[in-house]
Amino acid sequence: MGMPPTPYTPDPRRSQAWIPFNTRSEQPIVTGTSVLALTYKDGIMLAGDNLASYGSLACSAPRLSVTIPSYTIFGASGNMSDFQYLQHDLDNLIIQEEVTAQDGHQLGPKQIHKYLSQVFYARRSKMDSLWKSVLGGGFKDGKRFLLFVDLLSVTYTVLTLATCYGVYIAQPLLRKAFEGSEVRKIKEDWLHVLFYRDPRSTNQYQITTISAAGPTISPSLKLETEWSFAESIRGYGPQTQ
Amino acid sequence: MNSFASRFIASSAENEIRQAKAMAEEEGLTDAMWGSDAGFGSLVTGHAFNVPAVPDPSAFLRLHTDDHADPNCKIKIQHGTTTLAFRYKGGVIVAVDSRATAGSYIASGTVKKVIEINPYLLGTMAGGAADCQYWETYLGIQCRLHELRNKERISVSAASKYLSNLVYSYKGMGLSMGTMICGWDKTGPAVFYVDSDGTRLKGDLFSVGSGSTFAYGVLDQGYSWDMSDEEAQELGRRSIYAAGHRDAFSGNTINLYHVQEDGWKFIGNYDVTKMHYEGPGPDVPGAPVGGYGYDVRTHGRFSVLPTAVPA
Amino acid sequence: MPNMSAIVHPQQRHFNPYAENGGTILAIAGADFTVIAGDTRQSEGYSIQTRYAPKVFRLTDRAVLAVNGFAADGNMFVKKVKQRLEWYKHAHAKDMPLRAIARLIQTMLYAQRFFPYYVYNILGGIEEDGSGAVYSFDPVGSYEREACRAAGAAQSLVQPFLDNQIYFKNQTAAPGRSHPSHLPLPDVLSIVVDSFTSATERHIEVGDGLEIYIVLAKGRSLQGVEGLHGLRELSTQEDGERVFVLQRDLKKD
Repeated sequence: MGMPPTPYTPDPRRSQAWIPFNTRSEQPIVTGTSVLALTYKDGIMLAGDNLASYGSLACSAPRLSVTIPSYTIFGASGNMSDFQYLQHDLDNLIIQEEVTAQDGHQLGPKQIHKYLSQVFYARRSKMDSLWKSVLGGGFKDGKRFLLFVDLLSVTYTVLTLATCYGVYIAQPLLRKAFEGSEVRKIKEDWLHVLFYRDPRSTNQYQITTISAAGPTISPSLKLETEWSFAESIRGYGPQTQ
Repeated sequence: MNSFASRFIASSAENEIRQAKAMAEEEGLTDAMWGSDAGFGSLVTGHAFNVPAVPDPSAFLRLHTDDHADPNCKIKIQHGTTTLAFRYKGGVIVAVDSRATAGSYIASGTVKKVIEINPYLLGTMAGGAADCQYWETYLGIQCRLHELRNKERISVSAASKYLSNLVYSYKGMGLSMGTMICGWDKTGPAVFYVDSDGTRLKGDLFSVGSGSTFAYGVLDQGYSWDMSDEEAQELGRRSIYAAGHRDAFSGNTINLYHVQEDGWKFIGNYDVTKMHYEGPGPDVPGAPVGGYGYDVRTHGRFSVLPTAVPA
Repeated sequence: MPNMSAIVHPQQRHFNPYAENGGTILAIAGADFTVIAGDTRQSEGYSIQTRYAPKVFRLTDRAVLAVNGFAADGNMFVKKVKQRLEWYKHAHAKDMPLRAIARLIQTMLYAQRFFPYYVYNILGGIEEDGSGAVYSFDPVGSYEREACRAAGAAQSLVQPFLDNQIYFKNQTAAPGRSHPSHLPLPDVLSIVVDSFTSATERHIEVGDGLEIYIVLAKGRSLQGVEGLHGLRELSTQEDGERVFVLQRDLKKD
């Protein structure tokens, strides 16, 4: 560069210290609870209930999503608005890749995973995190892929995954049973367990899968529940004897 | 801005290059980085450091990096030290220990706390290791530029003032350094103390760090302007030994430098434990025969007076 | 007495941009080789997130970087270092020398002085004079060349062992003999494996898998690596420095 060397006069005020910061992303507002994910012989399956909670106020909202044609499905727990923002952002990304580039390349699940981790990292570095955890699955070129990204952009891939309450309640069961033939049945069992124990969950749920045949997403389904066992539970709340 | 329009413009490659350039500028990456200017290249043009988007960045830094305020903080910046430098008729003696601590863990026992800025200038390291290393390296670049512009070496005074002004501009941001800039210029041997508060002092004798009080004790007692070179070197070595012995955050080894008219010279590296039991060697003027340790020196002798013979 | 500093500087946000993801890394330099290793467990709190998340990365045929601390910062940092090395290669038509990579890492870490990467870096490889070298860094970029270094969760378990086995600290040589200044490769490899199996026994954040990178100086014979089970070569050239990786299992509990 042809610039004359100038003595360095540092000025902290020119740094980014004084950009307007915000207090919006200090905590999640409307939240979704556990999402479960599992690898099975044909591909990846995700399950989650349809509940969005505003504190103890409940409303129904889908928490699973399919991004076509990127061979990727994903679901999220945490801030619902950030989930919807991400759906929008991924749609835009795919339009950009499909329409503008038209280079014959398509974003696979690994590319989506990397993209999400970069978006999350940029936001946490601005101290304006996307307050959520994303689980996703993909199937491309004969390979299945399960992904995870959280609000700090910590990423990894494994065979079975869960978020929120599911980490403690469903994940151990998931690890035990994965690659079984009755995956949908297994999923329903876990959702049962979660619904019984997670006060911020509901019995309306969706399941989405991806395999060589492409992605599928179920309509909203309902768990048949059986509460008679609750009679025999002791040791919580007023029932101390 | 017009991202929707730009997304659909004819040449997507051109668009992508433009986007990449905009992103690079945002991150302070310039064309200079394609060459070999490394990270310092952007500093010359006044690149600002990345600062977290919080109301009080220095409180943020303290929250995550200050292990004095919170021993459980995650990022442990290395601390703890004894350094000293003094001026006498034969030049400047610079002596330091080599221990770095993170909390109560000894992170390293082989730290180079004397930073060789150029063949005529030395800087010492106390406080944040990275702050001292980075800014004194940067000072070296500026000293070389001064030589090229003015066809003569920078004075110790000017070099230390450059550093002092620099750290002063970051005052309150959380830098931590206490350093002595030592050298020989037209005025003879010179020592300047500079710290991250912006203090800059000219003087004959300084010691900085957690073990400085112990070093001062020995140094003040033994110092005179007219020492021989050997005596001066021994005084520096003996003072750091005292700090290594009494201060838990100092120790391991001693690095000794001597600055004379033709630039600095590395004298040697001495193990503190070895100094305690064996000392620097038999023929060092002013040094005790055998170890520095008082228990070693008084071994077999009694300080208890013989009981008086009853009349 | 109330803590005055807490009153003057209240904790400012709920959001903590850092996490601690466990694991341990180490590197040992030999006369004409360097070994850089790390376990592959990634955890947060008491949960193991994955049993295979690499922490050691090949940068060039003669440089390997190990990162430990906050995984997201580590991955981002490695990505940026690799990018800078690629730019250097395009500008100069050669790989960046090891000592220059060390200085580059210092300036890149220091650029984040006020919002540090929570990453402990260990850089290992071969210098231009053909000697093995290890550089260790603190999170804001102070660095030092050493013969060996451990960092991360089990640093305080592994480093004293290395001090004893590599530097022969607190060991007295047999009469009339002296300690070697550099150990041969097979000895170093067994010290590395022992360090990790022992750390796995005593630290909950270490385990699952071990990845060991071996960098050999130009022209060095393969003696010491020949016949190692599961050895994979990663070098791009036959006649320069050579990089190998070796994978071993660690206990998974």
